[in-house]
Amino acid sequence: MLEISALSHFYGKHQALAEIALDIASGEIVAILGANGAGKSTLLKMIAGLIKPAPGLTLRFEGADIAELPAHLIVERGIALVPEGRGIFGELTVAENLQLGAYPARARASEADRLAKVLALFPRLTERMTQAVRTMSGGEQQMVAIGRALMSNPTLLLLDEPSLGLSPLLSREVFRALKQIRESGVSVLLVEQNARASLDIADRVYLIESGRNAGSGSAGEMKNNPDIQRAYLGKARAPSSPSQP
Amino acid sequence: MLLFDIALPGLVLGGMYALIALGLTLQYGVARIMNLSYGESLVAAAFGALSLYTGLGLSPLMALLLAVPCAVLINWLLYRFLLERLMRRGKDRGAQEIDSILVTFGVLFVIQGIMLIAFGGQYYSYSYLSIPVVVLGTTLAVNRLVALLFAAAIGIAVYLALTRTRVGTAVRAVAVDANAARLVGIDVAAMSGLTFAFGGGLVAIGGVLISMFLTFNASMGVIFTMKALVVVIMGGVGNVLGALVAGLMLGVVETAVARLVDPGLTLAATYALFLGVLLIKPTGLFGRAAS
Repeated sequence: MLEISALSHFYGKHQALAEIALDIASGEIVAILGANGAGKSTLLKMIAGLIKPAPGLTLRFEGADIAELPAHLIVERGIALVPEGRGIFGELTVAENLQLGAYPARARASEADRLAKVLALFPRLTERMTQAVRTMSGGEQQMVAIGRALMSNPTLLLLDEPSLGLSPLLSREVFRALKQIRESGVSVLLVEQNARASLDIADRVYLIESGRNAGSGSAGEMKNNPDIQRAYLGKARAPSSPSQP
Repeated sequence: MLLFDIALPGLVLGGMYALIALGLTLQYGVARIMNLSYGESLVAAAFGALSLYTGLGLSPLMALLLAVPCAVLINWLLYRFLLERLMRRGKDRGAQEIDSILVTFGVLFVIQGIMLIAFGGQYYSYSYLSIPVVVLGTTLAVNRLVALLFAAAIGIAVYLALTRTRVGTAVRAVAVDANAARLVGIDVAAMSGLTFAFGGGLVAIGGVLISMFLTFNASMGVIFTMKALVVVIMGGVGNVLGALVAGLMLGVVETAVARLVDPGLTLAATYALFLGVLLIKPTGLFGRAAS
């Protein structure tokens, strides 16, 4: 449903992304792994239309070229981004944040129905509807952010570090929610530091290093790849690992 | 009774402040334009009402029907063809703010210059509904009561529209975080333009209402800009309820000081209140907590 090739971006003279290629099929969870500063967030922002990519690329969604579309029209096509740092409206209530999520025309008709689904996914938001979002915990804010994105009736959900700063328990809850979201028919593109949890829920994985494609494959292959284990899963090579007393 | 002698005129004055500040807080909080030509727009609307009244015999309340759509259109054009380009060009909030201050400073002199050519520097006033009535033991001109009623109705309507409707919530969303607003499908540039125009409409209402009972001249716009700015900052930038409360507060305090102490001290009272509020709450009465 999403096809990207030859996507590049420069911050001044610094090339943040070089000739990135990536595709997502309908119903997939795809994870992007890579070190901090590898350009993963920039990539998500470009897909969402917040940053304009350098010309000459292919950026197609459901067959249509979306490279030149502004952010608010990309939401209308069915792509929702949960940005790094969540990007929620801290001064507004949970209910207002979720209502704003359904602002796009494509989401208006099904608003009540979607709200019920979001509250079923994150039951603890139900009793917080009138609370200002900035007064809530990090985990609850992340639920609002994901919930708000789902309110826009997306077919592709982009998430930038959804487990950042969350306790292991809340991280698990977020990843559990992502699985359920996929089961409801929404494709997911995920950028994460938590490689282990991402590999557990993802179908396919892309590696991005220094702004370039550095490999891709199914999550199962990646999990068993010794280089990946060393770089992202914190496992030392078994034979050479020095044993600690 | 002394209490009502202060409260009623205080509320009339405060209602005008609140109404004027409402437009500025929308322009500044949502469209991010620090509009220095704001007071000049107000005075221009006052001259518009004067001309229609003296020239065509049209009542100021009928003049509203003409002045408000004109002001909305002019402000929208100003935003769309001048300010929006600046907003796109500015790298960050700071650069955008400086650019908008410089440009609207220029617009101030353009509007003022046109008014000086058309009307000269002398003071104007006209007499409309200046019939004294006694309300709660206090004598007040009918035109002031009408102005207060209009201000109250419009203030409440704008507050409800912003808090109870989808578009209003979207307007507040842009004020809170413009980038996040784009992610929920809000066309931030279009919404900013409409809000800027709407703020211009509010200031035109303020100008027409004030012209019914105040003596004005072509170069006094800056007084209104300063007062509106004080109220906006005191209430919390971009906060509608804050502008309403701070405006009423300022009006009552100024009237009380003028009545009880000395009319020459009203400006001192304004800034004492302003400083007092900012010392206790630097982001204004209803301002968001500094993060």
